[in-house]
Amino acid sequence: MKLRQKVKKAVFTIKKKNEQPRQHDNRGSSKYVKRIFVSGILSLILLFIIIYTLPQTVLDVSSLLEYTTIVALVIFLFVLVIRYFAILIMAYLYINEYTYKPTTGFFPFVSIIVPVYNEEKVIAESIKSLLGLDYSNYEIIIVNDGSTDRTKEVAESLVGYQKGKLSADVKVSLINKPNGGKAQALNAGIKYSKAEIVLCMDGDSQLSPDSVKLAVRHFSNPEIGAVAGNVKVINRGKLLTDLQALEYIEGLNMARSAQSFVNLVNIIPGPIGLFRKKAIEEAGFYSSDTYAEDADLTLKVLANGWKIYYEPNSISYTEAPEKLHQLLKQRYRWTRGIIQSIRKHKKLMVNPTINFGDTFIMWTMAYEALIWPVMNIAANLFFIVAALFFGFTSLIFFWWAGLALLDLVTALYCVAAEKEEFRLVPYSLIYRMVFILIIDVSKVMSTIEEFLGIKMSWGKLERVGALKS
Amino acid sequence: MELIPILSTIILVATISTFILAIGAYILYKIRESKGEQFVAAGPSEVIAELVTPAAAPVPAREVERAPAQVVVQQPVASSGPQPQPIFIQQQYRPEVKPLQSRVGVPTPQFNVAGYTAAQSPRDSKFMKYTSEGYVSAKEDVNAGALKWK
Repeated sequence: MKLRQKVKKAVFTIKKKNEQPRQHDNRGSSKYVKRIFVSGILSLILLFIIIYTLPQTVLDVSSLLEYTTIVALVIFLFVLVIRYFAILIMAYLYINEYTYKPTTGFFPFVSIIVPVYNEEKVIAESIKSLLGLDYSNYEIIIVNDGSTDRTKEVAESLVGYQKGKLSADVKVSLINKPNGGKAQALNAGIKYSKAEIVLCMDGDSQLSPDSVKLAVRHFSNPEIGAVAGNVKVINRGKLLTDLQALEYIEGLNMARSAQSFVNLVNIIPGPIGLFRKKAIEEAGFYSSDTYAEDADLTLKVLANGWKIYYEPNSISYTEAPEKLHQLLKQRYRWTRGIIQSIRKHKKLMVNPTINFGDTFIMWTMAYEALIWPVMNIAANLFFIVAALFFGFTSLIFFWWAGLALLDLVTALYCVAAEKEEFRLVPYSLIYRMVFILIIDVSKVMSTIEEFLGIKMSWGKLERVGALKS
Repeated sequence: MELIPILSTIILVATISTFILAIGAYILYKIRESKGEQFVAAGPSEVIAELVTPAAAPVPAREVERAPAQVVVQQPVASSGPQPQPIFIQQQYRPEVKPLQSRVGVPTPQFNVAGYTAAQSPRDSKFMKYTSEGYVSAKEDVNAGALKWK
């Protein structure tokens, strides 16, 4: 892509809200000390009741422990199966409904906001993919968030009226601003845009050609405030990235399909999310006070009564972390960000009269973020203890076989529904016992750190430039 | 030896190893992060940004592909059972392309959604008169200075 036109440069100021990611000050820590003290007292009372009532039961201590463990395990299995089948059935109903929905001729003007920070390796390819969209009525706004590499130079070379697939003059603009985070970068682009619909994406993502056309049609329904796209892993071929590819299909997209059945998608993914600009303005734009700005904005949009839909054929290809420490870094941020969002909107969680949909979706988020990882780790620990100390070695095999069968069936369905690579299906055999266990350990650690108020930073994932291929 | 005990042992070892790996990787990640931690100063309430935008449109206004007024997609009908009904959605907007110009110093170039209704065709106005100059609004015709019937 060559620069075909002269460019004009102008300087302007962006007012930003004084928001800092939620950290805890001294007052916050004293509040936590008080909370720990109260829970300690409550635990002591509970312990006292157990010790006092224990001699009155017909069971001895070891039998009681045994029965308690069995009851806990049965509850865990029950929740696991119900959760799985509820998501599967709702996802199936959604896909069924989606299949019969017609395409409409609705082509509003769309601004594609591309926030970039040190993306010199992938920015050109990312913009090139945007010029190949099967859509004629759009512009591209690159927001350079104070990159320290050559991103600015590469982005400036892209500014101008570029030739698109269906339009000869796709306007590409660039906003250079000092580093302030993704939320601020997106806000700068959204405020500059005059379009009715804005598409927010990551600088390292590539959109499929018909992604905009397919997603935009849902906005013909005036109740729809946002449309979530489908994120897929592009850099496959390694164990960790293949497992993540399966996770995106089986874990994230299937859940999103189920949520879309009731028009209550809880997180619009960063790599592709379309918003009615009015919905973003009503929600007060992206906030920088959490590390999951996409979850936070989604909750705000839902709280204002907008519906959110999921478009499975609007695909954004993104690079997944290739190394374990990068993956942990990503999940650490996701977990703490989601918990921060839940805590920020806890009023909606405890008061279902404000917005019942929001309350429901927040309880599911809290369950997935806080309860589910603990249950999974506890169940695995139980089988390890049962095998090592009580000799029930075969129990762990049946446990694994049950979970693997469940994951295998789900993976088959999801791979078939999304017309994905069949070779990903066998990974479901180690998906839960290895991959999800690592992720859940990280989630629990992050949750503890979040509640203790340990400081964290955004960080930046290293990109390998897989989008070039 | 039976198969189940062997598989059970393998799974047990794998699960314990995964636990150790997960905790170890997390600790290493935290050590790595703490080494690279830097002090981040609070930013100002206003930041100066630079806007780089094309200076002028390369081509004059042109017609973009027009969407059909109404698209009806008929789904294949199954031979038995409840039939899904096609949904008819009326088109609300049609894309309109105006001459593209720079936003810096010159009029704003983008597609004006609000302006679309303002720039209607004569047929869309409620009261129109047909004159030798074509359709004009009733107001324009009154101001034209012609003889009025009273």
